[in-house]
Amino acid sequence: MAEHDDGLIVLTINGREVRAPKGTMLVDAAKAAGIEIPIFCYEPRLGAPIGACRMCLVEVEGMRGLQTACSTPVAPDMVVNTESEVAKDAQDGVLELLLANHPLDCPVCDKGGECPLQDRTFRFGPGRTRSLEPKLHFPKPLDLSPLVALDRERCIACFRCVRFSQEVAEDGQLTFQERGDHTEIATFSGDPYEGRFTGNTIDLCPVGALTSNPYRFVSRPWDIKNTPSVCAGCSMGCNLEITEREGDVKRLTGRPEPNMAVEEGWICDRGRWGYPALRSADRLQAPVLADAVGRRNVPLERAVTEASGLLAARGARVGILLGDAVTVETGFLACELAARVGGGTPAMVARTGIPGHGLGPMRALPGAQMDDIDGADVVLVVGGDPCTQQPVAELRIRGARRAGAQVAVIGPRPTALDASCEALRTTPGHLLDAAAVINERLQGSERAVVLWDEADLAAEPAAAEAIARVVAATPGARAIEMCADVSGPGLRALGIPAAGDLLTALEAGAIDILLTIGADPTAGPAGDRWAAAADRAGTIIEMATHRTGLTDRATLVLPMLAPLEDEGVLVSMTGRAQRLRPGAREAAGAAAAWEMIVGITHRIGSPVPDRTPAQAFRRLAEQHAAFAGLDYRVIGSEGAAVAPVPQDPGVPARGPVGDGLLVVPCAPVFGDAVAHRSDALEAVREPSRVALAPAEAERLGVRTDARVRVTTPEGTVVLPLEIDSRLHEGAVYLVMGDPASGAARLLPGDRGPVHAAVSAAAREEVGA
Amino acid sequence: MTAHEIEEYLSPMRHEFADPRSLILPALKFAQGDSGWLPAEDMAAVAEATGFSQAYVESVATFYDRLYVEPVGRRVINVCVTLSCMLRGSDEIFDHLADYLGLDGEGTTEDGMFTLAKVQCIGACDRAPCLQIDSGEQIGPLEPADATCLVDDLREQPAPARYER
Repeated sequence: MAEHDDGLIVLTINGREVRAPKGTMLVDAAKAAGIEIPIFCYEPRLGAPIGACRMCLVEVEGMRGLQTACSTPVAPDMVVNTESEVAKDAQDGVLELLLANHPLDCPVCDKGGECPLQDRTFRFGPGRTRSLEPKLHFPKPLDLSPLVALDRERCIACFRCVRFSQEVAEDGQLTFQERGDHTEIATFSGDPYEGRFTGNTIDLCPVGALTSNPYRFVSRPWDIKNTPSVCAGCSMGCNLEITEREGDVKRLTGRPEPNMAVEEGWICDRGRWGYPALRSADRLQAPVLADAVGRRNVPLERAVTEASGLLAARGARVGILLGDAVTVETGFLACELAARVGGGTPAMVARTGIPGHGLGPMRALPGAQMDDIDGADVVLVVGGDPCTQQPVAELRIRGARRAGAQVAVIGPRPTALDASCEALRTTPGHLLDAAAVINERLQGSERAVVLWDEADLAAEPAAAEAIARVVAATPGARAIEMCADVSGPGLRALGIPAAGDLLTALEAGAIDILLTIGADPTAGPAGDRWAAAADRAGTIIEMATHRTGLTDRATLVLPMLAPLEDEGVLVSMTGRAQRLRPGAREAAGAAAAWEMIVGITHRIGSPVPDRTPAQAFRRLAEQHAAFAGLDYRVIGSEGAAVAPVPQDPGVPARGPVGDGLLVVPCAPVFGDAVAHRSDALEAVREPSRVALAPAEAERLGVRTDARVRVTTPEGTVVLPLEIDSRLHEGAVYLVMGDPASGAARLLPGDRGPVHAAVSAAAREEVGA
Repeated sequence: MTAHEIEEYLSPMRHEFADPRSLILPALKFAQGDSGWLPAEDMAAVAEATGFSQAYVESVATFYDRLYVEPVGRRVINVCVTLSCMLRGSDEIFDHLADYLGLDGEGTTEDGMFTLAKVQCIGACDRAPCLQIDSGEQIGPLEPADATCLVDDLREQPAPARYER
């Protein structure tokens, strides 16, 4: 009777029959049946329940005393009462005690209005206190870090933030100090809480104890509108929520209903606090037209008309370059535009990013989603560094290790996972040697997940082929590509090639008009070549969010919306199409790239039929097999998988170019353009630098406090030097932080292997 | 105190503790013996020796009253203020001692000789009111004058080789 054929356990909660799978905690069983049991500390994403806050006390018939519903599993024929007098009394009592030292400064608290403590006190609480004792007071607030503020008197000691630090981020930094009513969240000897995920403690805090410094006193919950969207900071595609007030993005948070298949509700600090870049000083405010009259601001309508005039010119040879984080709709419409320009001369369309010739075998492997990592028995990270490049992936990998998976990190770079997982350091440029180790680690596995780095394996096609063979031969093994570019997977699915041919055509003088959309090729690989090549095009039309190296040379500058303001679809590195929803009002002088392209086609006299990104998406889904069967409704709030696209056959691999040491490129997201534009991230952003093994530095005669000249065939840059004993000799680790430093420009356009000569910088260069 | 010294101290007792977290307390007590309190470096050494994070070690240290994370005097005078002692006049004892030591309530004397502290029951209600010097025997019952004599005696004594708090 009590255990049904379907394996569900039957119990009674508040007189209602409830069914739940074995192992379900009472609180979840009740929730599924529409009965709310109040909680504070319970959060399954933080591991096993700890019953710290006592808020969920319920009466269970036959059990002595009250039980914590968060840590009591369902049992057959259990009779639970959450509304009996005893249970109500307990709820009253717990809340009264939790509030005994809580300052009730809700009117000036950032959490007020969206605070679980407030909500539950109203719903379950006693309404009045019997306590006449003075409350404890602490000076407030304390900066736990430059980004997270701690108000100690509001804390109810639920342990959520401490568990996140100890058991999810595993940074071991947050603990409780002292005891009883003096318990407070603290770090070792008051050091700042450092990490890539600190902001998640704010989302987790059920009271106003941990709040965001950049959001402090910025708005009240009734003044804001929250919009679910997707982070365009890296290819992880974390789901997040945009808080808007009066048209501006004021805050980003993890989704209250996390996407368990992607980010599990965790977002990194770069994603969370990148939004101030939207209003940085170099944001483009108004369209610019340069013609015989001079260089001046013009209305957007006029700028779009001018653009269509230029692009429609008969015989004009147009090149369209798509950038970092453009949506698939923008990519699709750019292709539509390409067929309509030049009076019948089709334009070249290309994307910045990695060509990926030779990655075919890796991309043909069965794909996995992020939540497949949870149940994996072996997790291998091959190349790259997810901890700095796709940070939230690190949390999944740590979770898999805790769940018992064998985790190995294989590649030339030291990573944050090295301390707790097997770290197999390969000689730079020799990932091929790792194939044997990978084979060994995969032996006997049934549910292996291999995360591989697009950039590293694209530079070593022979390794890609060998590793793909090993993984393909392992039953149950699946792969996740750690993509270098946010828009890469989506634009590849549309068949848009990398920009190598476009660059060659520009250099050959075969392009008259260069249209860039969200791209700054002058700041990326082969930047100097791009700058020179762009000059050969008579006309540059730029659609961009911020100033770029092309802005001052462009005939037309069209300010475009950033991903947080735009609508459309991005495809994540696991091939998941996810929707961006606009979280801010359109800036006055700017428009979405897709909308401007539509406008241009209308003015050319050959309009595309789309009026919204949704319509454009429906059409692109009809034309491109990868998106077949998808539309905005199917994608919904959870996203939907894009079908893998067959790869074009690779071109022969080339050897390294240039003289000196092999370059190991490192591209931390905390060093990207957004991190450098966002004032909130000032304390945690990564600068550009060169890192060398101590022996290598000695051989080259360079010291830590020195700056060094780094020269590749693409140019020379002077950068600070860091000496790190974890690095390999015979290689130069190039950390590409601040885009203004020019470090990324040293890489070749095809992202293939490159050597760099390193020497001490002359005195006059150090000053510069 | 180095991590190595702590490890050597712990090694004979490691097998006694099923949960390695339990090693933190003896390690902290041992480390405290050197200077009488636990500077951050000592807690870091305990963290290294036990394999737990520095933050976790500090959270353990701050939980216990007799592990001192702030400097204390050469001798710590713990005056019991729980019910039996309070009813038998611990307030007078404490105030008299504070007066005698030139302290405004709990605290450490300027010369660094004494720290005066109020503590909860030290398990000698039959000898109330009582006090305890460091982790020594409970002393009581006491009159205020006895307490000041005790302080004078302590002042004559040399600093202990190792501090037992």
